[in-house]
Amino acid sequence: MRSPHAASNRVVLSLVALAVALLLLGDFASVQANRIAPGRGLGLFVALGPAWALAVLGALLTLAGLALRPSPARYRGMLALILLLLIQLPASLGWFIQLHIGADQPQARAGLASGCWSLLFLSLLLLIEVRQRVPAPWWWLGPGGLLLVTALLIQGGELAALALLREYASRSAAFWQALRGHLGLVGGTLGCSLLLGLALTGLIIRLPRLQRPVFGVLNFFQTIPSLALFGLLLAPLSYLAAHSPLLQSLNVRGIGWAPALLALVAYSLLPVVRNSCVALQEVAEEVLESARGMGMSRWQLFSQVRLPLALPVILEGLRITSIQAIGLTAVAALIGANGFGSFIFQGLGQGAMDLVLLGALPTIALALLADALFSGLARYFQPGGRR
Amino acid sequence: MSRRPSALRPWLAPLGWLLLLLAAVFWLGELEALFRALEPSARTLIYPRASFARLLLNHLAIVAAAALLAVSLGLAAGILVTRTWGRDFLPLVSQVAAIGQTFPPVAVLALAVPLLGFGSLPTVFALLLYGLLPVLRNTLAGLQGLPAEVLEAARGIGMAPLRVLLEVELPLAAPVILAGIRTTLTVTIATAAIGSTIGASTLGDPVIAGLVNGNSAYVLQGALLIGLLAISVDSGFDCLQRLITVR
Repeated sequence: MRSPHAASNRVVLSLVALAVALLLLGDFASVQANRIAPGRGLGLFVALGPAWALAVLGALLTLAGLALRPSPARYRGMLALILLLLIQLPASLGWFIQLHIGADQPQARAGLASGCWSLLFLSLLLLIEVRQRVPAPWWWLGPGGLLLVTALLIQGGELAALALLREYASRSAAFWQALRGHLGLVGGTLGCSLLLGLALTGLIIRLPRLQRPVFGVLNFFQTIPSLALFGLLLAPLSYLAAHSPLLQSLNVRGIGWAPALLALVAYSLLPVVRNSCVALQEVAEEVLESARGMGMSRWQLFSQVRLPLALPVILEGLRITSIQAIGLTAVAALIGANGFGSFIFQGLGQGAMDLVLLGALPTIALALLADALFSGLARYFQPGGRR
Repeated sequence: MSRRPSALRPWLAPLGWLLLLLAAVFWLGELEALFRALEPSARTLIYPRASFARLLLNHLAIVAAAALLAVSLGLAAGILVTRTWGRDFLPLVSQVAAIGQTFPPVAVLALAVPLLGFGSLPTVFALLLYGLLPVLRNTLAGLQGLPAEVLEAARGIGMAPLRVLLEVELPLAAPVILAGIRTTLTVTIATAAIGSTIGASTLGDPVIAGLVNGNSAYVLQGALLIGLLAISVDSGFDCLQRLITVR
């Protein structure tokens, strides 16, 4: 109905207009004399100098120009411009640091202000939009290049003055410990809830009248807010630990990893059990019939028919579970569980926003990674999906 | 609808939870002896800085503000991008809604502080951003899941687009949209409690104060109230949903 030349892409135009407005109206980056001093925000032209600023604005306006009368070739041009915008972002920060923070200011820090964040955010939105208008298998070069250039600049020390990296530098050991703690708790949760969840699923399939009560209880857990569940587990666990030497030797207390793991498993069971029940129950009767007709034993039926067909749906349950557990592990820092949440709450307590970022950004990154990992696995195990 | 006595029965569960919540709000302070057993050495046993009723009201106000904004914005956005003239934005909006739900609520809450400072305002803002997504996603799913023949038929009998939306599309999509609103409410109530750490005064206050001072009596009081509030609201919504789906 609509030929590629017929209409301008209003989505790209609006996103570009928004990006230009935010870049011109807000500060691009900020400079702090030290950790406690208030930051001084600098606009795009002051922060990057006129040449770099004009190049960024020029790229955005060209993007808008191409979006006025889009065609497949022009969409590929837009995609290339978006990749450039993404890849220049870390470089522009390195340039900003070189311009505004001298080598004689070892305490000074550079911060990202609204302009920088909105350029990053809107470029990613533009990428999502343009990517689905034209088939271009190289779209990942944008985010990939962004990460690569950032890594190279960090390695070369060009970004050392970035407030986030200054925070990291002063607690790098704690950072890796937090990562291990976070992953350990999430991994433990996934393992426990998978084992328990599959056992419950087996029970439900054998005794269908248990389905309603089991789901009732698991739904009930999901309703209870995490802070409340952590709090409710505190008293009973301290009591148990005080009266059991075995639990004491395992370092089980009212706070720490034990209540965190218990609560996380309680939350994780619903997605796991729901998805595996649905997946295992909804294998079509004809499929099972023909498998039986081939003379398969019960075990063969399970391992060669039911499980492979159910696996993608079970993996989807694990995806939800892992994202949920990564977020809740951060909350569990309040009850002393080790993880990135401890940076978030320490930073909030000290009013140190860069420390908050040092906790919040890796938490988000972990959640996005888990999402990508489990969606990828689900696609891989989709019947006929293996390429 | 008939108003036989049995019509009240489904409301017994939420009513019971609500009464339990109110009882806890007003009488938890009287149970000092019970909390003494938990925390024998503490000087104060009942959270002293604000009454539970005040905390409950604050909590409810924050949740209500965020949820109202989230539901109206999410619904509006979902409707706009499924109209003919907004359809260009549909792929982007639905992808962003899907990706956004990957972000942990506590991270969104923490990131609101550098933007807006401490207090209730950043809490409401973060809850609004996060609460928007389930409503938006379910609105899109509900409106897009309608069979094309139904819409065709509605247009065929000469209904104007607005009437199709109000009298056909929204009523048919209502169960799915309501499920989204329910998710939003659950997340909002839970995350508002964590809002205590960024300076919003909510039922999370006793929990946080208790954890910081090592007073498990405070923790238990806050946790009980938060739990009861969440369960009351959820079970009330459960009834509402069943009522609408059955009709």
